[in-house]
Amino acid sequence: MAIATPEPQQLVDLSSIKTVKQVPYTEYFVSGHRTCQGCESALVMRYIAKAAGPRTVVLGSTGCMYVANTSYYTTPWVVPWMHTQLGSAGSAALGAAAGLKVLMRKGKLADEPINVIAFCGDGGGADMGLSAISAALTHAEYRFLIVLYDNESYANTDIQLSGSTPYGAVTTFSPSGKKRRLMHKRWKKNTPGALVAGHPDAAYIATADAAYGVDFMNKVRKGLASGGPSFIHVLDPCPKGWHYDPQYSHEMGKLAVETGVWSLWEMENHEVRLNGTTKQIAAGRFSRKPVREYLSKQGRFAHFAEEDYEYFQKRVDEQWSSWLIPGVVSFRLEAGTPLNL
Amino acid sequence: MAVTTAASWSVEVVYRGIFQKRLANRISRGVVLGARKDGKVGTAFARYGDSPERNGIPSKNFAVVATDEVELEASLAKYEPENVDVSIVVDDTMCKGIESWAWYGIQPINKLVVPGGALVVTSDKEPDALLEHIKVKPYPYTLVVVPSPVHAGVFAPEGSASFAGLWVDNDDNTDFNCVAAVAKFAPQILTLESVLDIVRERTNESARVAAVQATYEQIKMRAVLPGEGSTVEYEEYTKPGWTQMREGIIVEAMKVGTRNPIYKKWSTRTRRPLVNFDTCIKCTQCWLQCPDECFEVTPEGTYEVVYEACIGCSVCAEVCPVPDCITMVNELSFENNDNLYPQYASDPDAYRELLTRHGIPLHPELIEKAKKTQPVHHQPAAVAGGED
Amino acid sequence: MAIAVRRETAAAPLKPLEGEEELLLTGSEAIAHALRLADVDIVAAYPIRPYDAVMQAVAAMIANGQMDCEYIVAEGEHSQFEIVKHASAVGARSFVGSSGVGWFYAFEAIAVTAGLRLPVVANVGNRALDDPGAFGVEHNDALAVRDLGWLMTWVETGQEAFDSAVIAYKVAEDPRVSLPCAVSTDGAFLTHSQHLVKIPPKRIVDQFLPAYNLGDRLFHPDNPITIAPQVDQDWLTEIRKQNDAAMRRAPEVIREAYREYHQLTGRQKEPFIEEYMTDDADYVFVGQGTIAMPGRVIVRRLREQGHKVGFARLKWFRPFPADEVVQRLSRFKGLGIIDRNYSFGSPNYGGVLFTEFRAAFYDSPRRPIMVDFIAGLGGREVTAENGLEMFQILQAGAAGDLDSNVHWIGVRE
Repeated sequence: MAIATPEPQQLVDLSSIKTVKQVPYTEYFVSGHRTCQGCESALVMRYIAKAAGPRTVVLGSTGCMYVANTSYYTTPWVVPWMHTQLGSAGSAALGAAAGLKVLMRKGKLADEPINVIAFCGDGGGADMGLSAISAALTHAEYRFLIVLYDNESYANTDIQLSGSTPYGAVTTFSPSGKKRRLMHKRWKKNTPGALVAGHPDAAYIATADAAYGVDFMNKVRKGLASGGPSFIHVLDPCPKGWHYDPQYSHEMGKLAVETGVWSLWEMENHEVRLNGTTKQIAAGRFSRKPVREYLSKQGRFAHFAEEDYEYFQKRVDEQWSSWLIPGVVSFRLEAGTPLNL
Repeated sequence: MAVTTAASWSVEVVYRGIFQKRLANRISRGVVLGARKDGKVGTAFARYGDSPERNGIPSKNFAVVATDEVELEASLAKYEPENVDVSIVVDDTMCKGIESWAWYGIQPINKLVVPGGALVVTSDKEPDALLEHIKVKPYPYTLVVVPSPVHAGVFAPEGSASFAGLWVDNDDNTDFNCVAAVAKFAPQILTLESVLDIVRERTNESARVAAVQATYEQIKMRAVLPGEGSTVEYEEYTKPGWTQMREGIIVEAMKVGTRNPIYKKWSTRTRRPLVNFDTCIKCTQCWLQCPDECFEVTPEGTYEVVYEACIGCSVCAEVCPVPDCITMVNELSFENNDNLYPQYASDPDAYRELLTRHGIPLHPELIEKAKKTQPVHHQPAAVAGGED
Repeated sequence: MAIAVRRETAAAPLKPLEGEEELLLTGSEAIAHALRLADVDIVAAYPIRPYDAVMQAVAAMIANGQMDCEYIVAEGEHSQFEIVKHASAVGARSFVGSSGVGWFYAFEAIAVTAGLRLPVVANVGNRALDDPGAFGVEHNDALAVRDLGWLMTWVETGQEAFDSAVIAYKVAEDPRVSLPCAVSTDGAFLTHSQHLVKIPPKRIVDQFLPAYNLGDRLFHPDNPITIAPQVDQDWLTEIRKQNDAAMRRAPEVIREAYREYHQLTGRQKEPFIEEYMTDDADYVFVGQGTIAMPGRVIVRRLREQGHKVGFARLKWFRPFPADEVVQRLSRFKGLGIIDRNYSFGSPNYGGVLFTEFRAAFYDSPRRPIMVDFIAGLGGREVTAENGLEMFQILQAGAAGDLDSNVHWIGVRE
């Protein structure tokens, strides 16, 4: 039922990880999952479980992190894990969190903070399941975290384009051929930007990148500690889908941020801040690397002509020069409009 | 040559998923299309349970050739043949055995080969060297070795076999050479003439035709006697019945401090990382960035690889900040998957010699500083569940 | 043996339970009362006619403090059904529902809820499927899931809607079954029509309904499990077999539940088939849901003309009570099966009940003539005139004079 003001939430003690040295050693997602060499999505799962700890239940929607991890009839998860449907990360998080809350309130279950985390890929989350995530983020009365791991394709079905696939990228639904060099001409939508702009009752929303593991793990903890509905959109390079040698998975993650293609930011307590290298780029202390340095290392852009690189660079430049908030809010504001800065 | 009796033959291609997908496809289709030229019928299919393929994880492709449609039908609407006349392995490290999607537990590479059949391996190693890793069979078969191409592929270090794959297509005739190997061992499946016809049709390059012909002559065939090979035991796995399985599609979770006991993923790797424990500065990056949770802290606070779990992605080697502290080396040089830190701890000189044998510089100038670094993690207590 | 329908008349009032109250309620409201007494923990709602009357009733109860449960308005039926599925997995007693194409929008969730063996109870306010849009009753919405492992019951009155909703939780949550249950209420005729309903006191329902307990299947940090890992051909047959076994155990669990409920309330003696004037009948009409009301009117009219007819109402569609059906209905000359649904292209182009009945009777040494009447589609009323026509066709069928055994009733040519 709708409540006018959120009830006081039971906060879980999830302290901030200040340096790499403070990353907990214990794994709650263990070896023995049928993921690709260099799979950064698996690394994301590992970080989620590590950051959240044992008083956690995880809901995993269909995708690589379902099929690869649990094939066949097995599991790498130490914490309880349940499958949910492709577009259901939002509804699963909501149902599990609401169920636990009401049982505790009625005295049918011991009252304690339980982390509810649901994950989805870019296909299941930003495409099919966006409405469910949006609805979930309006429920200030429940505490849960939704993590969208973005490998920029429907990867488990052998790489098809999604709404999060970058411009021009080759996938099995957008091959480069004699007649058409580029079949995918839609620009990647800004899902976290859309969510943060439109859900004032979301307690925490952030972007992250698998290459910045400590930052991501802190964001997982912040999301869970926020006491309400939270969402993290994490970019994770995919050697199978992006066509590069797995050994460069970490480097790809860094280049995405260093070229300004992907931005690291968070909204906490209704305040947006840029993080890490993204912040340094915005402050002029770090020069964005040319996007070519990132794109040319991936076979999915091997067919790019000069004009494609130029277009891509132009669009990324716009993210930094024209967007109201770089990487976050994708439009300008009419000159003279007052801003509450 | 005319075959008058009805018969069918199965060929499998065992390959590194995604990396060698195109290669495997060309080989199995090459067998069918080549046999077609000899008047046979056939089918080619990938093993459904291996799909979606994952980088490096062993996968299988099949070609079944028959004298007529009736013979062929026995092999249709199946996930894989019960056994094969020829098994083609396009990465010799898989000779140690493989686990892929559809099996449970590591299985011998020659598991499906029939008596009198052949195991074809692309390798620059001698057949005897390969046999040290290949499981014994109780009956004879032939080990066929297709030599590595003159120009090794980008992802084929130390001259090992071709890696014509998804983003690097070496296009080095490995596909044709493998089909030629089938023709050499079993001309009743398809003849060399047909193979060369296929090469001609596909490439229109007479130089290639000559090259394939030349390789055909160099293909080694080694008769393997019963009992020759490795005696390593492989896992058996029995599947529970519906009355034993838990209701509600439920399996038990993993326990803290353990790894999945039924899926040891090491057969996914072609190379393994070797750690120089002397120069490790305990930065934790290898441990932190490993997507397969393969690193464990040693008593000294350095990090070692759990080789049973390591799939050889090489991210650790890339992220390690110390020169030559983690180096990828060919998997075939190693007998087993034991952790190597205990070796280093009991006989550090022998361990350093191991690194040197693999051409890894030891960087003595970095040791003193490394020894002064402080451990970040400590080995957890034996009881599961300890955070540091 | 025919069991006379227990009907209260002014001359012989049934003895009321202490604390029982009689209210004038729609079928939807009656279900809401059942949820209240069953201490349902969570409800997920989404608007579509005509089932959503039950969700409106629940909302009012919560707002007035009569009911304590989480009430989530989803943004679509798929999410609606996923929400309760996951709430059920963490141990919350859940309720959900839909109608027509709304039910179809949730189809994926509906399939997996049964696969997961989660005892969610859903009210299907039966409504015709689009296109075109229409609000009147057809049964194809609920029927579409009949292969998937949902328990399915059709109710006729507001009283039965109440009783069956309570019984649904008992049966669904029984560890021998642990399957979701769809309680179907005909759009308009039951969802929106008001009947006199006796609501028992809470202590009766508490006695009847144990707490929802998932045991070692509970999704909770203390229980180290993974639920629904990916499988292949090596596993699926066994998993389906488990579902089959659960459904095979359901009829006995249903019988037990009805026995106990009858003891406590005096109602619902008959679990599977409710017979009316069948003792000496030659021909019996068969149907499910509110078609039994005009059905019984038709029976009385035909009886007035001297014909020996009766009506049998099927209460549970899944598990289909084949043994009972054959045992109790094989003695008649002919069965007129009224299908408020369609199954285009099926054998003989017959409706769903017709096809199921014929399958049930196939091995029986004694098989009555069966004629299918496709009737009442889109909520069209079935009249006494229709009844006469159906009877004449049934008679002709018994005499071997029919070209076809499937007839559409009341169609304008």
